[in-house]
Amino acid sequence: MITRRGFIKSSGLALFGIGLGGVPTFVVEAANRILEPSPFNRKKILICIFQRGAMDGLMAVTPYSDPFLANARPSLFISPAKQASNSGLIDLDGHFGMHPSLSSFAGLFNQKQLAVVHGIGSPNNSRSHFDAQDYMESGTPFSKSTNSGWLNRAVGLIGHDALSPLQAVSLTSSLPRSFYGPNPTMALSNLRDFAIQMNGNPLGANIAAQSFEDLYDQTSAGLLKDTGKESFEAMKILKNADTKNYKPNPKAQYTNSPLSNSLKQIAQLVKMNVGLEIGFAESGGWDTHYAQGAQNGTFSRVIDDFSKSITALWNDLDTFQDDVVIMTMTEFGRTVKENGTGGTDHGRGSCNFIIGNNIIGGKVHGSVPVLAKENLEDGRDLPVTTDFRTVFSEVADRQFNIHNDDALFPGFSSTPIGVMKA
Amino acid sequence: MPYKQAHLTDRQAAAHLLSRFTFGARPGDVDSVVKMGLKNWFIAQLNGDLSDDSLLTRIDTVNKDLRLSNGEMLKAFPTTGLVIQMAIKDSVIQKDSIGSLGKPKLKAMLQDYMKRKGFKNIPDLYKELQARKILMAAYSKNQLHEVLTDFWYNHFNCALNKEDCSRFIPDFERDAIRPNVLGKFQTLLVATAKSPAMLFYLDNFSSSYTDTSRLRPNNPPKSLKLPLSNDTSKRKSITQIPPRRFQGLNENYAREVMELHTLGVDGGYTQSDVTQAARILTGWTVYPISDQGPGAFAKKLLEKLSPEDFIKKGFVREGDFLFTPNRHDPGSKIVLGHVFPAGGGYQEGMDLLSILAHHNSTAHFISKKLAIRFVSDNPPKSLIEKMATTFLNTDGNIREVLITMVSSPEFWSPTSLRQKTKSPFEYILSSVRSLNSKIIDPNGLIPWLNRMGQPIYYFTAPTGFPDQGAYWINTGSLLNRMNFGLSLATGKVNGIKTDLLALNNYHEPESNEAALLTFSTIMLPERNLDETMRRLSPLLSHPDLHTKIESAGSNSGSNPSMNKPSVMEIKPNDKNTSSLAQVVGIIIGSPEFQRR
Repeated sequence: MITRRGFIKSSGLALFGIGLGGVPTFVVEAANRILEPSPFNRKKILICIFQRGAMDGLMAVTPYSDPFLANARPSLFISPAKQASNSGLIDLDGHFGMHPSLSSFAGLFNQKQLAVVHGIGSPNNSRSHFDAQDYMESGTPFSKSTNSGWLNRAVGLIGHDALSPLQAVSLTSSLPRSFYGPNPTMALSNLRDFAIQMNGNPLGANIAAQSFEDLYDQTSAGLLKDTGKESFEAMKILKNADTKNYKPNPKAQYTNSPLSNSLKQIAQLVKMNVGLEIGFAESGGWDTHYAQGAQNGTFSRVIDDFSKSITALWNDLDTFQDDVVIMTMTEFGRTVKENGTGGTDHGRGSCNFIIGNNIIGGKVHGSVPVLAKENLEDGRDLPVTTDFRTVFSEVADRQFNIHNDDALFPGFSSTPIGVMKA
Repeated sequence: MPYKQAHLTDRQAAAHLLSRFTFGARPGDVDSVVKMGLKNWFIAQLNGDLSDDSLLTRIDTVNKDLRLSNGEMLKAFPTTGLVIQMAIKDSVIQKDSIGSLGKPKLKAMLQDYMKRKGFKNIPDLYKELQARKILMAAYSKNQLHEVLTDFWYNHFNCALNKEDCSRFIPDFERDAIRPNVLGKFQTLLVATAKSPAMLFYLDNFSSSYTDTSRLRPNNPPKSLKLPLSNDTSKRKSITQIPPRRFQGLNENYAREVMELHTLGVDGGYTQSDVTQAARILTGWTVYPISDQGPGAFAKKLLEKLSPEDFIKKGFVREGDFLFTPNRHDPGSKIVLGHVFPAGGGYQEGMDLLSILAHHNSTAHFISKKLAIRFVSDNPPKSLIEKMATTFLNTDGNIREVLITMVSSPEFWSPTSLRQKTKSPFEYILSSVRSLNSKIIDPNGLIPWLNRMGQPIYYFTAPTGFPDQGAYWINTGSLLNRMNFGLSLATGKVNGIKTDLLALNNYHEPESNEAALLTFSTIMLPERNLDETMRRLSPLLSHPDLHTKIESAGSNSGSNPSMNKPSVMEIKPNDKNTSSLAQVVGIIIGSPEFQRR
């Protein structure tokens, strides 16, 4: 059977209007027809959101009944009790409570569509943002020399040929470390801009596009050549999709933040059936060393937008929800004790959120010990009780049938903790 | 400069030098470097004393604010909180009514108030800063100084996104970075460590010693509990405790100074070293800059001290930097095996920075980072060793390290030539320089920089922008680069004017092929153009092209600009649609132009 990607390749076809090399019009039309109905069967999709800066997991999902936490955080601790004008934690199970700004997540939690893994983190105890992000994204917490990212390896392990250059897309201006590697992955900041553009001169743009395609095809610089090729293939597919007039599902309440904007476009790609299997987006503002705030303030603002954006994505997916799992991640957690500047410093364990219909939701997975000093890592941090790779590999296994832990995370094997339905 | 051994001609070597130590060669630059002599040119760049007077005059008339001191900056660009306070004090708004006004109304009132008081909006300052960087990079004669200012700023990155530090970033770049880019590394390190921008960006301003034995557990520090009282005897007790609301240790700067500024992440330090270094740096903070708002009270107290008492009590002030002994951890510490006995005060911080600046790991880390910027993404170990040796032998003299670098065969080897991928900033600036474009509004380039992934002064992480081709080149950013090339050449980048024909002395190339050859030679000096010519020539001279374009143009109807007779005819007065512009746009967007 001929795949679309194979078709483009084998015919040497340029979809830029006229074919200067004399590609007959009927070939162009045939290629366009192939797009609809979509040549891609619906696929399982994983959407990852990296919270850069290290989210305070203990403030997001608080083990509020632990007396040590309230003591360690005199100005940051929130209890489930309503206080004067401030709302309290949203009680999940009599022990854990969600930050009041996570109300939309609490709704999904109650419908068992959202799971939390608490005490998740890296076995490497680096507390450097850069290092810890690098380790989490490469998926090899003790080796810096790993060139590829874990999501790039996942692309290679999905078990079928890449049908589309849009198989793995990051809605960021540059390629995230998770996407580095030999398999085709791409970054773009805005679907609409994804074309060679010459204002008021579409024909000039066609000629330029073909010139660029030729030049990049023959350049001796490998990086430029490979990236160029992917750019042009993706451009051809997006050119045929109506990216300009996207209307989200009315149930989806996106905000105006960069994260919302990225997630909206991921939803668009999912619904366009262009062969997307892995989506990636980023969220910033989590490095709360100073004046973190409790019910209101920095942390509250950031997590409010975070949860609203993700919930909007989930609602936007609508009939595609069964295909999709959304998973968040952050490089480490923050100190149990608040620091001297009304914030928290770099710590170890944090928590993450997994959303889907195929998950064991409505539950806080993992384990969080009583936060007495003797139970803390280095006497100060929430210990990492679940290796992030355990969770990532379970999700990859259930979503993509990637059974080989060692290929996805070299040198690692694990037993699933049961965040996904078997 | 051993370039002859690498079989490079003078012109080829000059082109390589220009690609490494400038923001791109302008038409004719290769000739002038050869004429001057390569070595002479490099020494002149190291000296960095060519006159930029007319450029600076131009910049200063547009961007006066960048010369302001930190204190003047706070006055000219007060924070929103401060503006509200002042507006209340001047009875422009009532404190009780702020909540009921609603955000838009309050905003409008504050804008109006700011206008009357002559206050400026902070986004304007950010724009000035970005504009200045672009103008200096495009036009300064001391190109190496601009390149190094960019390099060291990125090494000691601070970001405008963090508002606590943003007003101090002009001072940081101007006074801490710029004067020291070719001096001793330690000077640079100490200047950044004491700069308010860095002290705020990495939180050290707030890091202070807490004598936990004096506090009962779970009780907030005393300062929070003091009743506001008019009884002056009670107020005096406030002088015994730090003036800020929070006290305690903050490790952020101590960690990053080792990981990112000096030793490197594999430089051989431990978590304990970080914590102990943070203790050493407690009390390193910012002298209260403003007479208003937070810190004003502490400022009054400090000003009451006589100069003798100030010194006797162990305070140190240098400009806006303040060492305050009442926040400093007096205990003994050990960092990297060095013992700091109890009671070291200010000096132990200076000693710590000196140890870090002279460390073997630092010599290697800095040498490698310089080699990555100036040689290749994977510089040879042998080169790094030579540079690190010079670093250690010359007390971290950056100028000497660079001389060692260009004197090494590795700098000139084929594995170094054209091996760097331009960052978006380098790409955009080299395009503008290669066309002798006129920058009328530098900020017109900002949206392009952002889209390609390099929002200058806005990189949040203390790592600074990565300096690796693989980071910059991806499917999305590559497309933006191609589109930038086409937009620039067709005059569609806001604020930039280009006279393409002037580059060829107003000779119109006879054909597209001739245009391609002529302009490639101007814009990509001393490059092998065979590949490009072979691929593009048939495409651009295809006999069908002319008619196809004509018919397609008339078909597209509604847009009047599309009804021009032919986009393939060169029309000096209509550069936007001329094929010359298109050829030039394709050269800028081509893979060859992405490399340096």
